[in-house]
Amino acid sequence: MKNSTVAFETIFVDVAGKKTQLTRGGDGPPLLYLHSAGGETDWMPFHDLLAQHYTVYAPAHPGFALSEGLDEIDDLGDMVWHYVDLMETLGLTNVPVVGFSLGAWLGLELAIVRPELVQKLVIVAAAGLRVEGSPMAELFIDDFDKLRKLIFHDVDHPSVKLAMPDSLDDPRILLWLRAREATARVAWNPYLHNPKLPNHLRRIGCPVQVIWGREDLLIPVAHGEYYAQHLPHAQLQVIEDCGHMVPFEKCNEFVDATLSFLEQTAPVASTSCGA
Amino acid sequence: MEFFTFHLMPWDRLPDDFEEKYESAWTWLPNSLYEPKHGGELYNRYLDELVYADELGFDGVCVNEHHQNAYGTMPSPNLMASILARQTKNVKIAVVGNALPLYSPPTRVAEEFAMIDCISGGRLIAGLVVGGGPEYYSFTVNPTFARSMYHEAFDLVIRAWTEDGPFEHYGKHWKLKYVNPWPRPIQQPHPPIWIPGAGSKETIDFVAQRRYAYMGIPYFHIEFFKRNFDMFRDACEKYGYTADPNQLGWLLPTYVAETDEQAWEEYEQHLFFFAQKLLKGLVVFPPGYTSARSIAGINKALAKFLTSVKTRKEIEDGAYAIVGSPATVRDKISHYSKYLGVGNLLHLFQLGTLPADLTRNSMRLFAEEVMPALRKENQTAAA
Repeated sequence: MKNSTVAFETIFVDVAGKKTQLTRGGDGPPLLYLHSAGGETDWMPFHDLLAQHYTVYAPAHPGFALSEGLDEIDDLGDMVWHYVDLMETLGLTNVPVVGFSLGAWLGLELAIVRPELVQKLVIVAAAGLRVEGSPMAELFIDDFDKLRKLIFHDVDHPSVKLAMPDSLDDPRILLWLRAREATARVAWNPYLHNPKLPNHLRRIGCPVQVIWGREDLLIPVAHGEYYAQHLPHAQLQVIEDCGHMVPFEKCNEFVDATLSFLEQTAPVASTSCGA
Repeated sequence: MEFFTFHLMPWDRLPDDFEEKYESAWTWLPNSLYEPKHGGELYNRYLDELVYADELGFDGVCVNEHHQNAYGTMPSPNLMASILARQTKNVKIAVVGNALPLYSPPTRVAEEFAMIDCISGGRLIAGLVVGGGPEYYSFTVNPTFARSMYHEAFDLVIRAWTEDGPFEHYGKHWKLKYVNPWPRPIQQPHPPIWIPGAGSKETIDFVAQRRYAYMGIPYFHIEFFKRNFDMFRDACEKYGYTADPNQLGWLLPTYVAETDEQAWEEYEQHLFFFAQKLLKGLVVFPPGYTSARSIAGINKALAKFLTSVKTRKEIEDGAYAIVGSPATVRDKISHYSKYLGVGNLLHLFQLGTLPADLTRNSMRLFAEEVMPALRKENQTAAA
């Protein structure tokens, strides 16, 4: 990123045999950022803003960017165990986890199987649920114009160019197709959700900030309301005039909501948050 | 050289405002547009056309599998092939093909194909395919597993035909304690295998390696076929042998009338109904269905695809369809089949709205005035 305010670097880490791309920046306490299906693995403005307060770890999931190992991933559960391994490799435990969309779903599943790894959770426009009467839209379409309208409220927002290619001639296209493939691998069927997740939400004892764009057409805000109602310690913040791409479309609001949640909530809010 | 009549069994009624109102003739086209009684009439008429091909002396007939679309209303080609096994006498019956990842367990394909081979007295050609992009939406089958499911199912079907059962199969996608299909095919060790492809390098390499036959999926510009067939021949050389023309097939929309002018006059509107309506939405690439690089390559070829063609001249220049008098059609097929080096011509005579009488007349003219000359030319060349 051209106007980065903090130092960051991209390295490759061996995670249980999987070559994993990791971008790391800032020098505060650690924070793990789990990216969405769009594969925002380059250093983005919101990474930079968070990194003014935290050391942001932004790994690329298997099959995204230059991370390898998708062959060993059959479903989201395999992806979750990859993150158990990754956090062990990096020596991260009891850290705040910020996840967006696919990454938010990953964060929730991680907090279920290894609660001691997740101190607090910020989930933004999280996948993971099937809410009767509020279906998710079709993400796996080829038409960039339609896709843009699906995920952005303001299709002319300057961040659109940052977030996605606009044609097949875009130099980012091969990585974009890889990202789609890796997303489909874990989210084609069941479509972007885990039918068992609702029954496990009660296990997530740490504080959760739920953030949603009011005009999210991909994953309707009803999903955010469901999470807020069914997670033991959750609050919902809905951002107006905003689609699915919250960290891009409302970068400052997203970062402010995240930082104030992380600063204001007690680090150990309940006994189930682990060490 | 062998001549086949290929049938999609397409739907022939779509609203005039179809192009504005509907994004696709596939997957999402509401099935409220389907009229069952008319569907029944169509199926019977289409079967008659394939039986007629047998009477006319074609070498074979082809049926194929598609789901939830107006382009080809044949979700079970095996049902049609089994009717044809009874109603025809001489033609080979090519099912091009069964989409293996959609069958669970895929041993069902081994069973049903063996039934058809037995009923027909050993006339089946077994097409084994990955399935089209739209089918992965229609069946919600994960396309990132398409290739590995296909390979596993393919090997399992071959084993089911060639090894004595019962045996166990413990693969990634299927776990079967007893594989022991009754019946077994008449043709030994198994029916000939055809595999259609749209230019994916993965498919070309797979077919070449195993010495099966590769069928070029139609509607591309002639140069795209040429490139793919050359790629296939190169792949065969890589595996240590020279490809036989019988290992290649070209699917071509074909229309014959008394004169060139009459042919175009009768055919053009039907070809454009097919190109602009029925093909709409055919080409989608669900993620992981083929490699990102193949998608990028095929996307370039799509700039020269029948859906984007606007004029008669473009159709003729790209050989998207072969249209004309018997003499014109004969000359063009003679030229292009040599150019492409193909041994199997799969003629798509009926492609949607083309009426029954015109379809039959075109087939008859082809059989009587085109086929014999091409056969003779081929024999002379071989002698």
